[in-house]
Amino acid sequence: MIAVATIEHDAELMLRVREGDSQSFALLLAKHRAPVIHFLYRMIQNQAVAEELAQEVFLRVYRSRASYEPTAKFTTWLFRIASHVALNHIRDGKHERNQESLDQDSDEGMSRQVASTGPTVEQQMLREARFEEIRRTIQLLPAKQRAAVLMHKYEEMEYAQIAAALECSESAVKSSLFRAYETLRAKLAHMNR
Amino acid sequence: MNAKNNSCPMQNENAEILLSYCARTLEPEQVIQVEKHLLGCAECREWAAGQQAVWAAMDTWEPEPISADFDAALFARIAATEQPSAWERWTAPVRQFLQGGFGWRPMLSAGAVALTLVIALSIENPFRKEPPVGQSVKLEAHEIEQAERALEDLEMLRQLEAPEEETSL
Repeated sequence: MIAVATIEHDAELMLRVREGDSQSFALLLAKHRAPVIHFLYRMIQNQAVAEELAQEVFLRVYRSRASYEPTAKFTTWLFRIASHVALNHIRDGKHERNQESLDQDSDEGMSRQVASTGPTVEQQMLREARFEEIRRTIQLLPAKQRAAVLMHKYEEMEYAQIAAALECSESAVKSSLFRAYETLRAKLAHMNR
Repeated sequence: MNAKNNSCPMQNENAEILLSYCARTLEPEQVIQVEKHLLGCAECREWAAGQQAVWAAMDTWEPEPISADFDAALFARIAATEQPSAWERWTAPVRQFLQGGFGWRPMLSAGAVALTLVIALSIENPFRKEPPVGQSVKLEAHEIEQAERALEDLEMLRQLEAPEEETSL
């Protein structure tokens, strides 16, 4: 019931944006800014690029206000735009260049953190190593599988919502998710045992 | 879960339930049913343990903090896109003129009148200059002379061809 009320509220806000109410857009942005940026960050694995792409997402939302119709949940529509932007970015090959800079950043970050902490150096290093393993394993997933996993795990979206966001069938999403989790289990299951 | 190769029907037919159990999105009654099954199925227990480990590992991946100027940058971009383009700025007076009481209907009527005038003038042009009388007579005589020469040439050719036809027969 709470979820339904939230969905209706988001759609209502978007309809107000369509009528020219910029305050409603600010409210939508405040609510969905973090989920969109976090999704894009985990897809692209570069915070600066994720924020740039998130701006593109919200810009598209704003530009589409005139044609907006509340036919689907607002979050589904929003994540459809976010998935498009992320997958296009990856397809255009910009992703690899970001990844190179990310690797440099993460190495620098690691040495910075190791130097700044005293008694928890080992724990910190272990934590960094685990994080790196998770990051790299998720990175190895095909882009669409990765998007499905991130929406399922972190955004707690239903199969139908993910299917609508990725513009494919629900059965394709399930199959994609199961394959992705199988890969992740094979590579990450040892971590918390 | 590449469930098709597994022997347990729970993984083959109800993989979704098992995944939802690990995601803790099942109803309490369904949780009890799954846990009963897990007690007696080592294969599913192993699967669920692996999935929960993946879930826990993914939970440790915390996102980065968001830039403080994210909203300001976004609103600046929105404001920039809302600005009219150079083309829109240049054509603005014309568009304003057209929108401000000088609609398309009078423009269409004026266009139709202009087109009629052009057609009428091309048919009956009072400004067209006719060639002088003497010059036109000279031109006609020249054309007759050219036609006569052509006929003579044809006659000559026919005469040349005639003996060849006879020999071939």
